Amino acid sequence: MNNINQEYQDYLRDESRSTGQAESIFFPVTAEEVRTVLLRAGKTSVTIQGARTGLSAGAVPQGGHILNLSKMNKITGLRYDQEQGRFVLTVQAGVLLSQIKRVLQERSFDTENWSGSSHQALDLLRQSGQWFFPPDPTETSASIGGMVACNASGARSYYYGPTRKHVEELTVVLSDGSLIRLQRGRDKVEAGRFNIITDEGRRLSGTLPSLPLPAVKNASGYYLQENMDLIDLFVGSEGTLGIVTEADIRLLPLPAAIWGVTVFLPCEESALRFVHAVRSELCPVAIEFFDHRALALLKEHAQAQNFDEKYHTAIYVEFHDKDEVSIRNSVMQLGRIAELCGGDEEKTWVATNRHELEKLHLFRHATPETVNTIIDRRRRLDSRITKLNTDMAVPSRELDNIVRLYNRRIEEENLEAVVFGHIGDNHIHVNILPRSIDDYLKGKILYLEWAKEVVAVGGTVSAEHGIGKMKVAMLKEMIGESGISQMKRVKEIFDPLGILCPGNLFPEPIRAGE
Amino acid sequence: MNIVVCVKQVPATTEVRIDPETNTLIREGLESIINPYDTHALEEALRIKKRLGGTVTVLSMGIPSVREMLKDILALGVDQAVLLTDRRFAGACTLATSYALASGVRKIGNFDLVICGKQATDGDTAQVGPGLAEKLNVPHVTYVQKVEEIEHGYIKCNRVTDDGSETVELTLPAVITVVKGINTPRLPSIGGIRKALKDEVMVWDVDDVGVDENLVGIKGSATWVIKTFVPHYSTECTMLTGSIQAQARALWDELIERRGAL
Repeated sequence: MNNINQEYQDYLRDESRSTGQAESIFFPVTAEEVRTVLLRAGKTSVTIQGARTGLSAGAVPQGGHILNLSKMNKITGLRYDQEQGRFVLTVQAGVLLSQIKRVLQERSFDTENWSGSSHQALDLLRQSGQWFFPPDPTETSASIGGMVACNASGARSYYYGPTRKHVEELTVVLSDGSLIRLQRGRDKVEAGRFNIITDEGRRLSGTLPSLPLPAVKNASGYYLQENMDLIDLFVGSEGTLGIVTEADIRLLPLPAAIWGVTVFLPCEESALRFVHAVRSELCPVAIEFFDHRALALLKEHAQAQNFDEKYHTAIYVEFHDKDEVSIRNSVMQLGRIAELCGGDEEKTWVATNRHELEKLHLFRHATPETVNTIIDRRRRLDSRITKLNTDMAVPSRELDNIVRLYNRRIEEENLEAVVFGHIGDNHIHVNILPRSIDDYLKGKILYLEWAKEVVAVGGTVSAEHGIGKMKVAMLKEMIGESGISQMKRVKEIFDPLGILCPGNLFPEPIRAGE
Repeated sequence: MNIVVCVKQVPATTEVRIDPETNTLIREGLESIINPYDTHALEEALRIKKRLGGTVTVLSMGIPSVREMLKDILALGVDQAVLLTDRRFAGACTLATSYALASGVRKIGNFDLVICGKQATDGDTAQVGPGLAEKLNVPHVTYVQKVEEIEHGYIKCNRVTDDGSETVELTLPAVITVVKGINTPRLPSIGGIRKALKDEVMVWDVDDVGVDENLVGIKGSATWVIKTFVPHYSTECTMLTGSIQAQARALWDELIERRGAL
């Protein structure tokens, strides 16, 4: 245990750039140590942290202890799932996505303490080409625990789905220190009821409501569906139900051909037509959007190859395929669609290998990074200013309307903003860059106004970053008072004293006796 | 303005692994890419062509599979691609490589400018550009970071030097080698890839370029690799403990007092 002194100040913050407070911080290295901390915590609240890359302040403490899992960073085993024809990697919660990417690329693991069967599986993996873990949030220094907590996704989630789809098993320490193992396909919720046995042999059962989900990509509140796998409740629960200490994640064979194309289009209407056509005619794994404001920002700040001034909007499309011939065909069709929508095959950037793809990915990642740099500069002049980033998704039929709405309101309020992101999933981020505290306050009001509009058309207030502490009011807007109280009841089953991650998801910490 | 750009295929990493038993390069899992400096040479050539017209020809010497890399380069808007490939070219040092490439440039003919990357990331000698200029008997300038002016028969370049930069004027034809800062290389376009589908890479052997086979490949080399070996690395790790002050003190004692850094 460490008291929060000067040395640990950084742990009071996360990538949302908000700051909290805590009394002490723990860096456990085993699930047993996590259990010990919880047993000793009593009624003191515990905020869980991974790599603190979240954008919704989920890891920002509101008093009590911090349980930081960054030292649980071992990859502990590997197995081959014969039936499904895929590998499953066992990783501790603090393992970073970048670490997973690296070991899979190099096929080189720290196998100390691995079992014999894990070693055998590794031999098989090395003989069977390249494998990958599909979720690809922009921030590769995210931890697996954090990705599970907010059901993270990225550009490729358009095809591969979010983190939830790639988690096979979880080890979870509950708030009373008991440990459960949740396995997909085994631990089911049937007719609203679940039954699990803890490691100490205690039976834990309860009734779960089922809440309607918006028919869009979603990371807002608990996943509650009829006849679901119990594991899916814990994925995306933002640390409020238990502490994920270990996860079994699925690996897929890396496609033989991966190409990316950035297409420049003369106006936003033409870009939207292009997106609709690509979605209906081709099978890409990612479709990303850069509005003219984002392009102007990149032109000014990022190192990139020249692009024509007259091109207004850009769309990035990525394909994964079995061979070069098929993928080239898709890219040629993409060119034809671009021309039909007012674009020009010459005004495209095509990446056909890993190194070139990295360039296009860097160009995509430069948008939020440039925004952050600008905001950090402005914060030095007025510390009340922060970035306002929206994370909403709408149903496909509403995509054009929501883009128009964003544009109209940004202009009416005379705000500086960029609009970019996962347009394939109708999920585009608006980042408002306040130039003054007035801009900041105007932006905050606008953000809530958009949340209402998005909810009204069947969308979600958070599609990938999670609710954390920053979108609590919006979650309420989305699922209403009754939805919130149903979710609260679910939390009470697993965390009756309300000590885990207070402030996440719910308006105020749920305390014992309430 | 007719420009020839020389390119080389190199391993994708500089962390080359050598088999400790046989002392040969482990090629398994090693991806091949275009030498990164050469992508800047190509970009500069394409920019000059856009301003002044003419042609850009890409020239490489290597194993037959380099053809695939050249096909990809054709999609950038390069007019033609030539590959020198022949067992007799193999094992060449920089002298023999310069001679072979010079013969290739001569056979392409009617050139105003040859652009090379400043060096290849595998050999790191930076000798082939200047060597090529000598074999072609034309002037050259290395480490070019900006082409300030270029017109028929004349080029003015700014080059990086150890203590700053200098501007050099040359008559054309000439050879220049470029550094990374000169430009940001483009990626191919869909249109470029579509067009390149129909283009073919010209493949020439020793007889096609009409060189003296005693002056190319291992026979024409002035240097030979006698031995390759795995360098021995050793790292020691010492953990410093105690208060921040005590750790800083211990670090100072170790680095400054004991090892005399500073």
